[in-house]
Amino acid sequence: MAGEQTTGSSAGAGDLFQRRATGLLRGWSVRDAFIYAAFSINLITLGLFIFSYGPFIPEGSLVMAVVLSGLYLVFQAVTYASLIAVMPRAGGDYVWQSRILGGGIGFVLAVTGWWFILWHWVPIYANILNVQVLVPLSRIFGLGGAADFFNGATGLFVASLAVALLASLYISLGMRTYARIQKFCFYVGVVGLAVMLVLLLVHSRSDFVSAFNAQAGEVFGAGGNAYQQTIEAGSVSRPEVSFYPTLLLIPMVVFFNLWSNWGATLYGEVRGASDFRKNIYAMGGALLATTVVAAIMLLLFAKTFGWDFYYAANNAYWSGAENAPIPDWPYPGLFAAFFFDNPLLQALLVGVLSLWFFGWCGTVFLSSTRVVFATAFDRVLPEWVAKTSRNGVPYVALLLMLIPSIPISYLYAFGENFATYTLDATLVIAMTFFGSAVAAAVLPWRKPEIYNASPIARYTLFGIPLVTVAAVAFGIFLAFCLYQWVFRDVYGVNNPQSMIYMLILYAIAVVMYVGFRLLRRAQGIDLKMVYDEIPED
Amino acid sequence: MRFFSRRPSVRVFFATDIHGSETCWRKFLNAGKHYQADVLVLGGDMTGKALVPVVEEGGRWRATLLENRYEFEGEDEVGEFEEAVRRRGYYPFRTTPEELAGLEADEKRREALFHEKMLGRIERWMRMADERLDGSVRCFVCPGNDDQFEVDEIVRAARRVELAEGRVVEFGDGYQMISTGWSNRTPWDTYREEDEEVLEERLRRMAKELEAPPEKTVYNLHCPPYGSGLDEAPEITPDMRPKDAGRSTVPVGSKAVRRIIEEGQPALSLHGHIHEARGSTRIGRTLCINPGSSYEQGQLLGAVVDLDGGKKVKRFVLTSG
Repeated sequence: MAGEQTTGSSAGAGDLFQRRATGLLRGWSVRDAFIYAAFSINLITLGLFIFSYGPFIPEGSLVMAVVLSGLYLVFQAVTYASLIAVMPRAGGDYVWQSRILGGGIGFVLAVTGWWFILWHWVPIYANILNVQVLVPLSRIFGLGGAADFFNGATGLFVASLAVALLASLYISLGMRTYARIQKFCFYVGVVGLAVMLVLLLVHSRSDFVSAFNAQAGEVFGAGGNAYQQTIEAGSVSRPEVSFYPTLLLIPMVVFFNLWSNWGATLYGEVRGASDFRKNIYAMGGALLATTVVAAIMLLLFAKTFGWDFYYAANNAYWSGAENAPIPDWPYPGLFAAFFFDNPLLQALLVGVLSLWFFGWCGTVFLSSTRVVFATAFDRVLPEWVAKTSRNGVPYVALLLMLIPSIPISYLYAFGENFATYTLDATLVIAMTFFGSAVAAAVLPWRKPEIYNASPIARYTLFGIPLVTVAAVAFGIFLAFCLYQWVFRDVYGVNNPQSMIYMLILYAIAVVMYVGFRLLRRAQGIDLKMVYDEIPED
Repeated sequence: MRFFSRRPSVRVFFATDIHGSETCWRKFLNAGKHYQADVLVLGGDMTGKALVPVVEEGGRWRATLLENRYEFEGEDEVGEFEEAVRRRGYYPFRTTPEELAGLEADEKRREALFHEKMLGRIERWMRMADERLDGSVRCFVCPGNDDQFEVDEIVRAARRVELAEGRVVEFGDGYQMISTGWSNRTPWDTYREEDEEVLEERLRRMAKELEAPPEKTVYNLHCPPYGSGLDEAPEITPDMRPKDAGRSTVPVGSKAVRRIIEEGQPALSLHGHIHEARGSTRIGRTLCINPGSSYEQGQLLGAVVDLDGGKKVKRFVLTSG
């Protein structure tokens, strides 16, 4: 049932004439792919969270960093659209890397980046759940104890369990149901976002100061001019904005906008190769649309909250300023809700915005299960890993995500240093993407037959295949980020313990690959056959 | 080159749903040598889905493929393009603007052209098989639900390819295989589809003819068993588009196929039909495989299975040649 092109009769001379045969007439719609990509580059959950780190590079322009990286990452969309068009297969990065670069490279990079590392993202997701949903709602309803609980280690662990179970539930419900949940969450979440932006647009700075001071008293029990106190508590020296520091903000910003390809492991299999341009429109379009909305949102923060206040509130939180009037993460959604002098309306806005989280949180396990599946199809992992229940639930792959995520979340919440070990969680995924960028760059030479038979073979730039140009450009971007993460303190991820921990994860993947390959050989199966290409003539 | 260290009694290479792809057919014919297989099985849907007109006007040629428009000046360029179209599984044909307009207006003429092109290609493929296969490898082909019935006659006439549809064939170490390209109903109303009850009768009739014990039997049934994971297809809208970006999938396999596997418990059950549902599963002692299809990309997705007469098939890999 692979995808097909347009039918000819209405399309004019030269288009395909298609007969009635099983298979989809077209691939998917650009709109659906757009939604998926826009939901992956989640402006509310990931965007607002990482923007709060802006004060760490105060001479950089957050708005420009978002815009520049958003524009540049179109190369990522082109790279992944090309790979999907050439090999539209479930498993994404694993399949492309293993077929182009070799089974071992593909397994180690993809398994570490898409499987092991996503266990560690469960507490990261949980933290976002706490600071954007559970804590603000607790405050609105006057449940200070609950807010304190969710701000603490036990609260983080409980939220991690909730995230892991909710993600498992979504997958257990099946793709069909989860897709519908996501769609609902996206559309209603967009309404919430629009309401938030309108509130920021129609209110002035003085409106906000009044609302904030009033609600800080109501919600947080802060007295006096909380707005001014916040600025004083988290005051950030803001020298003149310049270009290079703006570039240095980009490795931070990618925490949110590096994921337009998140669905690549999932949807590659349901589309026709002809969807190459649609993929670019969808992934690139989502990236650019999110970038535009992010820029507008940040400019509205500057207009309504005041840039000094926004930076100071974040700086006060991250530096743990004791005299800050608000003890929680400064959630802009809650600040916008402060324009309502009614707890129910405030809770409604925060609740609607929370759909950005609830529709998205299944992604922490969803793409991973596809990679786990793909490795099991290749017999690298045992056959039973790909088992599904009668109603299609990939319960083994799901358990392989769920079970390890629980002790890891426990260690993250209660372990003395464990959270610092996981600082490289974004870096490891970027490494996986880097592997795919290399695979895409060399594709025309490593797999010329497949490349030449694909629709992307037509696209060149100065005689160089477009996929190579895009992949090299994307690779340079990733290399820049990797370099900055490793060598600059400001990102907080150049922690030797974290590096060692991540290297251990890679080592485990290497041992697994070698171990399973030897085991298969002992069983009489040579895995080389999986990646081999049959000569045509 | 030996891939497995222990030689099985029979090694089967299975691929399916190549939908007219010249590249895939060529690779299929070479798979026996490449994987050291004793038996090649093609699971159906051999014919392509689309015609590609190459239009001549004023000494120049133009065509559209995958939303890209092409213009050609000489015979060499046109020939190169036609070859690329054939490799993808489509059928190029040369025409004029007037003829094209006539074809667009006349569905019967279009169907006749499809008929001619599809059967012509199958005939050529059979000749290619006769030239390339030396008889050391048994090659079974079973047309699928998308293949017209005339395909059977063409395959039957080939010297090196054996038509497997509707009969018991024997190979290797006493293995017996039944095959059919018939499926349960699809939204496309294709050539070989029928209601579940009728399909079940067809399958039962074939299964009854098997004389080998279950551990030495193979089912080659184009349609995968319902709810096996090998039958997960994108849910579609009434206008045949994938719902929710293709993430909404539903099982569309056959309940009759499932029942017949559960009852017969063959060693191996080979399926296709749903290109996206690549994978393997077990139904009782039966290893069920759907290698998927990626014919448009010229990739011959397949499965190498070693049969050794044990209760269960233990050795297999899904390939991406």
